[in-house]
Amino acid sequence: MKRILNLLRRSPNIQLGPLEQQLLSTLWMRGSSTVREILDAGDIKLAYTTVMTTLDRLYKKQLLKRAPDGRAFRYSPRYTQEELEKAAIGETIRQLLGSSAAASLPLSYLVEAVSEHDAHLLDDLQRLLDRKRAELRGKEKH
Amino acid sequence: MFAARCIGVSLAVFVLLYVFLSAAVSQGWKLTRRIIRPQSARSAADLLFALRILPLALSSVVTFAFTLPSFLLLEPRSTNEAIGIAPLALGLCCLILLAAGIVRAAIAQRKASRALVEWLDGSILMESQIRESGNAVPIFRTGNDAPTLTVAGLCAPKVLVSEAAVATLNPPELRTALRHEIAHALRYDNLKKLVFRFSVFPAMADLEHAWSEETEMAADDAAVSNFHDALDLAAALIKVSRLGPVESSSELTMALLHSSTALSARVHRLVTWNSAQKPQTQNRWLYALPAAAAMVVGVVMTYGSALTQMHAVTEWLVR
Repeated sequence: MKRILNLLRRSPNIQLGPLEQQLLSTLWMRGSSTVREILDAGDIKLAYTTVMTTLDRLYKKQLLKRAPDGRAFRYSPRYTQEELEKAAIGETIRQLLGSSAAASLPLSYLVEAVSEHDAHLLDDLQRLLDRKRAELRGKEKH
Repeated sequence: MFAARCIGVSLAVFVLLYVFLSAAVSQGWKLTRRIIRPQSARSAADLLFALRILPLALSSVVTFAFTLPSFLLLEPRSTNEAIGIAPLALGLCCLILLAAGIVRAAIAQRKASRALVEWLDGSILMESQIRESGNAVPIFRTGNDAPTLTVAGLCAPKVLVSEAAVATLNPPELRTALRHEIAHALRYDNLKKLVFRFSVFPAMADLEHAWSEETEMAADDAAVSNFHDALDLAAALIKVSRLGPVESSSELTMALLHSSTALSARVHRLVTWNSAQKPQTQNRWLYALPAAAAMVVGVVMTYGSALTQMHAVTEWLVR
């Protein structure tokens, strides 16, 4: 566990602070948790809002998934420890070789491949686009 | 022995300068971007590209314009001096560096060429789309084995559109998506990627990734001229993402996480597009011409003394 967290910490695009690492480790052990459940377990003695903000940050870094659970969110790891370990090692090797994946072949794609975890991100983006299109249609009618 | 010393010293100066400049660029590119604050994605992409190739370009210029002439003109040919340990070791390092760059670039180019040949097999030239785009960049309709929308080729780039993309995107979405790809072709982005492969140095991945993101946004800007276009391109991005090969989590890499974040950022940028963010078409680089001309005049006027000083440096290196 320490090894992967160290690798992730070195990876410049997904840098994790100490609390983020601790929460990610907790969620890998527990599977899924709400903020209240993490605090009730007693391993982390911090304010509710601090833990909530940190989990939100991990969610925005796309390391966690979340689903509504009552009035709160239930968080779970988006990737297994093994998946992230592979990713971090790959990134570290790429860093050492001095080349990004984007520049690995002289080809330009409209979009890079997406992971199976991104389906709901695309749904969110589609909703945003539909809203903007509706706004534009509304403006044009007026 | 004179020729061997000349080559050894030139390669040694090249590698020393290259490593020093590469280290400086890899550590200082973020600061440079913050100081210069490019006005558009295109300027930012140009700046990052310039920074990425600066070590290779400057080291080559110094080697061929100063080191080599200073040695040939000022070093007495009669002396039978040995090459020296330092120039020999550094020269070997330089050869390894250049060989690594050539191998990396050749492998990347060969893979891309093979893929292009495969994708173009049975493809159809989309003449109406080429006429509509108003550019000479060829557009091919490929089978569904090829990527949904891509630009391939270095010196003569081609835009490839899969059957699935043509079937999925409506005409305005396809038009803006093609304009995006044509922008990549016109800016020779694939050739730039090959230069990155040739110019080997660790810890440049961040800079290359930032360049890649800015390049995508610059191509988005080039494809969009009003809010309707921006929404069409955003829709095309989402549809093409759904069409693209979905990587299983076991093949997950950080690049996929990056690409999701980048896609999200691009769509958000497009749905909040306003005409003010469209980059000005005037050639702002023309303002740099007087400075460049002054620099050339300065170099020409001080060339003699510069060669003498360079020769003193190489003498120190040999000893």
